[in-house]
Amino acid sequence: MIRFEHAGLRYGIGPEILSDISFTLDPGSFHFLTGPSGAGKTSLLSLMYLGRKPTRGLVSMFGQNINGMTRSQLAPLRQRIGVVFQDFRLLQHLSAFDNVALPLRIQGRPEKEVRNNVQELLEWVGLGDQLRALPSTMSGGQQQRVAIARAVITRPRLLLADEPTGNLDDEIGYRLLNLFDQLNRMGTTIVIATHNQRLMERFGHPRLVLDKGNLQVQPQVNWLRRKIEGIF
Amino acid sequence: MARVEKTVGTSQGKRLYDLPLNRDEGTGFLILLIALMSLLAVLAIAASFTLSAMTERWTSGLENRITIEIPAEGTDGRILGRDEVTALSDRALQILKSTPSVHTAHMLDESELTALVKPWLGSGLSFSGIPLPSLIAVTLSDAENTDMRALEEKIISAIPQARIDTHETWLNDLLRFTKSLRLVSAILLVVIGITTATAVAGAIRSRMAVHAEEISLLHLMGASDNYISRQFQHNAFVLALRGSATGTAAGILTLLLIGWISGQMGANLLPEFHLGIANMLAIAALPFLAAALAALTSRQTVHRALKDMP
Repeated sequence: MIRFEHAGLRYGIGPEILSDISFTLDPGSFHFLTGPSGAGKTSLLSLMYLGRKPTRGLVSMFGQNINGMTRSQLAPLRQRIGVVFQDFRLLQHLSAFDNVALPLRIQGRPEKEVRNNVQELLEWVGLGDQLRALPSTMSGGQQQRVAIARAVITRPRLLLADEPTGNLDDEIGYRLLNLFDQLNRMGTTIVIATHNQRLMERFGHPRLVLDKGNLQVQPQVNWLRRKIEGIF
Repeated sequence: MARVEKTVGTSQGKRLYDLPLNRDEGTGFLILLIALMSLLAVLAIAASFTLSAMTERWTSGLENRITIEIPAEGTDGRILGRDEVTALSDRALQILKSTPSVHTAHMLDESELTALVKPWLGSGLSFSGIPLPSLIAVTLSDAENTDMRALEEKIISAIPQARIDTHETWLNDLLRFTKSLRLVSAILLVVIGITTATAVAGAIRSRMAVHAEEISLLHLMGASDNYISRQFQHNAFVLALRGSATGTAAGILTLLLIGWISGQMGANLLPEFHLGIANMLAIAALPFLAAALAALTSRQTVHRALKDMP
C-alpha cells in the first residue's frame, strides 16, 4: 500500500526535515504515527497524502511510484486517500454539509447519493442539527468532526489523520477511533498521527515513531493488555 | 446584510462554486470593464456595417453607368448659350444611341440638375440665365465588354469639349478609403478582444492567488485541473455575459441615439445610419462571444497557473 525507501524531504534549501525514511505499510493495516513535536509527523503525512514529493528516495503509493507522476496522474490516487488535517482546513464559506460533500462531488457522485450519505454521516458524528452551519459558527470540536466526516465520506482506501482527536473529549475521541477501526475492518489502511498515549495504548495498533527526522516501527502491543484495558 | 449564497437545486443541492468566487472583490470592476469594452465593440461593429452599406450603395448602380458632361464653354473659351449646349447634347445622344453597347442615354433636365446640386446649394434655386453644363446619364448593357476608349474617341471627335466620367477614379479612391476605415474597425475589435482577455486573465490570476489555499485543498481531495478550471470558467462566463449584455445594450441605445440625431439633422451628405436585422443579430451575439472569450481565457489562465502548483 505504502512503501518508502530512503525517502528524504527538505523545504527549499533548508535542512532535511525527514531523512532516510524507509518503511512499508500493508493494505488494511492500522498504525499510529507518533513522536515529539517538530519531529516531522505532518511532513511525513504530507508525503503520504501526496501533498509533496520526496526530495530524495522513493515513495510508492498503491503500488505506483509517485516520484515521476504528473499532476493529472496524481488526482485519481488522491481520491483514494482521506485526510484529517491538524488545522481541519475546512472551507469557511461552505456549510458543514457542503464541506463533507466536497470529496463526493469531486468524484462526480450523484447528488442524491451525496445528500443521503452526508446527512447520515453528519448525524452519526453528532452534527445532524448543524448541517447548514458555517465552520466559523462551530466549536473546535465540531469543526474537527466535520473534518473527520469529510475524510471518511468516500470510504477511502487510505485514511491519514493528523491529531484527529486533539480537540475532542475522550468519549467522542474513542467513538471516532472506533469509526476508524470499523473502516479499517472494511479494508481501509489507516495512519493516525497522535500524541495521545492513552488512545494509542487503548487501541494498541503498531506505531511509527518519528524522532529527529528518523523513523522506527514498533510492533503491536500485547493483545492481552488490550483485552484487559477493554474490560476495565 | 448577509449575502445569500446561491445554490443549484434543493436547499442542500449542489453549490454553484466550491470556491467563493461569487463573493470576490473586484467582480464589479471586471463587469464594468467588460461592459465598456462591449460598448466600444458595438460602436466599432456598427461603424463597419455602416461603411459596408455605404460602399454597397455607392458601387451598386454605378458599375454600368457613365456620365457625359457637355460644358457650357466652347473650345475657344466662349460661353455657350443654353440652346448651343442642348444642340451639342443632342448630337452626343445620337452617337450614344447608335452605339450597340449603350443601353440607355438620358439628358438630365433642370429639375434633375436642381436635385443633384441640392445637397450643396440647397433648394429654391433658379438656374435661368446661368450657363449650365449638360449632363447625360448613360447606362451600358455590359460595361466590362464595352470599348470605353473607342466610345470616348467617338464622342470627343464630335464634341471636343465633352468630358466622359466613368466614376472609376473617385469610386476607387472612395472604396480604398472605406476599406481602410473598415480595417481600422477590425483592428479596434481585435484590440478590444485582447484588452478584455488580458483583464479577465489578470482577474483570474489574482483570484487564484487569493484562493490558493482552497485550490490546494481541492487538489488534495483529488480534484483534477479541469474540475477547478470549470469553476473559474463558469464564473468568468457569467460575469462577462452580464458585463457584455449591459455594454451591448448601452451600445444599441447609443446607436439609436446617433440614428435619431442624424435623422433630425436631415443632412443628405451624411451616410444613412441604418442597421438591418442581420446586423442587429450580429451585435446581439456580442455578449455570448465575450462570455465565450472570457471562459476560454479563464480556462487557459487557470491551467497555466495550476502547472506551478504541486
